[in-house]
Amino acid sequence: MYLTALRRAPAILAGSALVFLCASGGAATALALDVDAGFLYDDNLTRAYAPADIRADAAVTMDAATAASWVLSGSDWLTLSAEARGEFYNRFTGLDVIGLGATATYKHKFGVGLEVPYLVLAANGSNDDYHSRIRDGPRFELRAELGKRFSSQFDAAFGARYERRYGRNDEPVVPGVSGRVFALRGRSVYVRGGYDVDDRLHVGAELEVRRGDVVASTRPDFDIFVVSDAIAADPTFGPDFFAYRLPGTTDTARINGSFALDDRSSLNLVYADERTDASGGISYRSHRVNLLYAWSY
Amino acid sequence: MRPLIAAFALLLAAAAHAQTSEISARIVDDEGRPVADAVVVAVPTEGGVRVPARPREGMVDQVNQEFTPKVTAIVVGTAVRFPNHDNIRHQVYSFSPAKRFELPLYAGVPAEAVVFDKPGVVVLGCNIHDWMIGYVYVSESPYFAKTGSDGTALIADLPPRVYAVRVWHPQLDASEESTRKTIDATRPGPASVAWTLHLKREPKVRRAPAADGRGRY
Repeated sequence: MYLTALRRAPAILAGSALVFLCASGGAATALALDVDAGFLYDDNLTRAYAPADIRADAAVTMDAATAASWVLSGSDWLTLSAEARGEFYNRFTGLDVIGLGATATYKHKFGVGLEVPYLVLAANGSNDDYHSRIRDGPRFELRAELGKRFSSQFDAAFGARYERRYGRNDEPVVPGVSGRVFALRGRSVYVRGGYDVDDRLHVGAELEVRRGDVVASTRPDFDIFVVSDAIAADPTFGPDFFAYRLPGTTDTARINGSFALDDRSSLNLVYADERTDASGGISYRSHRVNLLYAWSY
Repeated sequence: MRPLIAAFALLLAAAAHAQTSEISARIVDDEGRPVADAVVVAVPTEGGVRVPARPREGMVDQVNQEFTPKVTAIVVGTAVRFPNHDNIRHQVYSFSPAKRFELPLYAGVPAEAVVFDKPGVVVLGCNIHDWMIGYVYVSESPYFAKTGSDGTALIADLPPRVYAVRVWHPQLDASEESTRKTIDATRPGPASVAWTLHLKREPKVRRAPAADGRGRY
């Protein structure tokens, strides 16, 4: 998997170089480099509802993005970024991933001033190479957000996302049932707010509701089997685990704290609580904690 | 004859200089730390002040997506230029009652300077970079100075009079008027004045990055 990712590295480097070249060609551009690295802990990686099938693990995460911004007018600007991300798990190395992608973000402010409303439109595409083959594939996301800063300390926004993930490898285990478990679609809406407690500490909260395909990995389970529309073996969690794709609704509550070390770096703690109600009365819950160091130049 | 006139003029200048005073100000916060970027203004308690007909032009630069200097003190009527030394355009604006203006998106140096014709505090912003904030303090008196990193400021070449002296700072947690002190600067030499200011949080958008840690497995 890593070799595959390395083979694709020239493409991402070329993309990054293109961004830099385009940016350096115009006086109205700014370049940025954003990096974050840290730890992730997830207490239900399998998204399983039966306690015996729940698996938890910790990972090291790394993200890097290089971005160029074009100021189109006094109220509009466009940012193009090339991104690389990696997650490397302690126990379940099948979840190890290297993702390469790009994002275009357009922002419009409805007027002049700190407190005028704004609109963000973003499109992201990436390709993920996992250690486990069934998770490999590209994914796309479209996002629209309407927000407003109410003061220099407080801002709030609501938005919607549409995401599509394609499973590259079809490895069916049940005749007539797709094996592309990780070919997923989802739509979500969210509302979020952020508050600067003081010069350094920022706290935020977000609520999100997502409807679409979800994947649960469990040992053979009839209740899930009958409501699944794709099934594949998932040796990441053990030789007797299968991944099931089924429709569901996920409610996520997320809180975060960000402590600025200086104008270019911060320490971040993020906690997310996810509750999913899937078809067939299947419900599961997961919690995730991220501790991240972020740096920007 | 000419040497005599020159000598007389020199004598007059020396006499005039000998009759000027200075006000030396020192400003610290609640914890005794020096306060930089505070503006100290002296206004004669009796008689008006004569503002220069054409004050020297001021400048507020934009470097690394910040206003530089952050606080600029000028006398009323001063024209200020806003050069942009970043490689991205800025759109500078202010909605302050003392001066409302907007410099449409620009790079380099705008052709027109902005004339600040009313005393007061003018808060500067950039519509592209919300974290950029700067201040222009427009003084009704030509006698003012800004504190350096050591928290001191010197108002020199003052006509010997009694002055009402006050201080302003972007984070001052009180009215500027409440800092007023009367200083007798009728005698040559420096008169000292000191303040201990209670500072509040600056109304500035945080610039530091944040990571959302959105897991995508």
